Amino acid sequence: MKCFSRYLPYIFRPPNTILSSSCHTEADIISTVEFNHTGELLATGDKGGRVVIFQREQESKNQLHRRGEYNVYSTFQSHEPEFDYLKSLEIEEKINKIRWLPQQNAAYFLLSTNDKTVKLWKVSERDKRPEGYNLKDEDGRLRDPATITTLRVPVLRPMDLMVEATPRRVFANAHTYHINSISVNSDYETYMSADDLRINLWNFEITNQSFNIVDIKPANMEELTEVITAAEFHPLHCNTFVYSSSKGTIRLCDMRASALCDRHTKFFEEPEDPSNRSFFSEIISSISDVKFSHSGRYIMTRDYLTVKVWDLNMENRPIETYQVHDYLRSKLCSLYENDCIFDKFECVWNGSDSVIMTGSYNNFFRMFDRNTKRDVTLEASRENSKPRAILKPRKVCVGGKRRKDEISVDSLDFSKKILHTAWHPSENIIAVAATNNLYIFQDKVN
Amino acid sequence: MEFKLEAHRIVSISLGKIYNSRVQRGGIKLHKNLLVSLVLRSARQVYLSDPCLGGPGVGGPPQPPPAQEQLPGEPAPGWGEPHARDSSMEQDPEPAGAAPEPPALPLALGKRSLEGSPLLRAEAVPEAPRRRVEAAERGGGGGEGALEGPPRARQCCCRRLCCSPHGAPRADCGCRPRPDDGAPPPPVCPRKRSASGAGGGPAGCLASGGSPVKKPRRDSEEQPGDEEEMETGNVANLITIFGSSFSGLLRKSPGGGREDEDGEEEEEEPQRGPEAAEPGPMYCDKPVLRNLNPWSTAIVAF
Repeated sequence: MKCFSRYLPYIFRPPNTILSSSCHTEADIISTVEFNHTGELLATGDKGGRVVIFQREQESKNQLHRRGEYNVYSTFQSHEPEFDYLKSLEIEEKINKIRWLPQQNAAYFLLSTNDKTVKLWKVSERDKRPEGYNLKDEDGRLRDPATITTLRVPVLRPMDLMVEATPRRVFANAHTYHINSISVNSDYETYMSADDLRINLWNFEITNQSFNIVDIKPANMEELTEVITAAEFHPLHCNTFVYSSSKGTIRLCDMRASALCDRHTKFFEEPEDPSNRSFFSEIISSISDVKFSHSGRYIMTRDYLTVKVWDLNMENRPIETYQVHDYLRSKLCSLYENDCIFDKFECVWNGSDSVIMTGSYNNFFRMFDRNTKRDVTLEASRENSKPRAILKPRKVCVGGKRRKDEISVDSLDFSKKILHTAWHPSENIIAVAATNNLYIFQDKVN
Repeated sequence: MEFKLEAHRIVSISLGKIYNSRVQRGGIKLHKNLLVSLVLRSARQVYLSDPCLGGPGVGGPPQPPPAQEQLPGEPAPGWGEPHARDSSMEQDPEPAGAAPEPPALPLALGKRSLEGSPLLRAEAVPEAPRRRVEAAERGGGGGEGALEGPPRARQCCCRRLCCSPHGAPRADCGCRPRPDDGAPPPPVCPRKRSASGAGGGPAGCLASGGSPVKKPRRDSEEQPGDEEEMETGNVANLITIFGSSFSGLLRKSPGGGREDEDGEEEEEEPQRGPEAAEPGPMYCDKPVLRNLNPWSTAIVAF
């Protein structure tokens, strides 16, 4: 675990000029963070519907010890606020999820989604441009054909690198409820999008059709007891996916079994501990995120107070349970009042599936080493993160005597929550979104 | 006693959340509202089961209200809100043509809260085909105009007039918790609250002809529109009900209904809701509570 105590914090905040905001506004709040498959790119989405992509700079030969930093690579407006006039509903432009496609050519592709519409974006570089057109001059003005006496072949000349993002596909009008997840299939031809009650399967090439593969909407909405909260494809088996519910259960489905996967293949549920029953038991058992391990052998789920690791081969209980911030258990009523109990924390695996990470309040985030069973609490804040400084482990004092650098539960700032984090696919680099700031920490190798 | 107070507090907070959710950007969040409704139900159960619960009419079956007069112009809580709700608050994306099912329960219940009377089948008389809420108030089976007449069997396992408008015994009426009883049965009435609210009556579940036909619940799925609407109507209705209930709360008089339009109350509600909820439940009689399903109970209580 010792490597986790050392991090080089890089604090990234989108420059004001790019995002046209000089102060923290609601639109700047980061709502999703995702590394691409190589870790070279890091994408963030925010409440204002923007996507900002960071690229890791190439390591220079001169500074071998200095790992590549992430710099802004591209920024674009992915989704705009919409108004559904028919239903008198405003559709938020907030980016709920971003998922990268594996790179197959020089361009990068990612999916971004808001509550209703998924878009496929192509991010490509342009560092050459053609010059010497016949029909238009260098400024783009059309030339009078009568003045053209000779023909020339346009040539490509270098230009300043320009990164452009273009929407290649728009997958709309398939979800009645709010989309909470998207997941790219390992076949790289299809992906799924999940809302509260349904999951649809799309082909990347086809935007006007999607297959509904899960539908848990009851015939009578009065009988609604649970909703879908997250869904993900198996990383290796293109026929398998899981989805989690607000009741704390996970269902694994096999698309080979039937076209409509309403009946699960496996059902993961842990019996409730009756001693912990309270008014809010149902809320805190609602799963906010589900992630397959890279190996595909395990799934990790996050509910309000814990992170659990499940073995796909054992359905009756998780194999590991980690308490993220159990000191909040006695404060559930207040957290219900201020809506914090509805916060949807995400969780991530590291590249080797040996460490899991999730966020908490007061800009704290937690890491759990599955092998050594050790855990650490770290904080993402400007004050504590000078460049090259090492992150100091934090501790929350639950009562009794508070030690010097401990923080008491009542002093926690619940407005500073870390809901979204990401881990580089192969290295110990993590991205932590704290409200409108993005922190990127690297493991410093001595 | 403490549990009861805590439960009461939680119920009022929950109602506030549901109420606020309709003005939230992005539409009603189904997940959050489902969770809030679960908390509401749990708190209600505790509230009802607390032995210290005092109040009028403790124990015993619900009594018919002493005065069953139709409160003139009193809009049944949450039904067919007559006031001009601007469409921005519309959260029921049912096609206008559909005559969504009115939240029978809450109606009756809301009415009950004012009159203290259980829903009486006899009252399910098709009132004048007015879309006004008062027609609905009468109807136990509620719904606008309750024209469907045949009251839905509202017997539950304890043989009290109870929750389900469909005749299905609603075990979650306080007499016996049903283990798999999920979210409380919110009324399914995705109403379009047109800004005008006119067209033969208040906005709300306006049937295409404007006639206050109460559409059977089972038809609620068969919408003429191709596009499926997000069925948050139940929540939306609940909210309107709450809104009305809050207003009723303002007056603090059981019989003194609201003569004014819901529209006026609407503005008051946001700030009055939470506080107004406080004194409310104190005079809510328990027997009434017992008969209602969780949703309705909450309304009645507040």
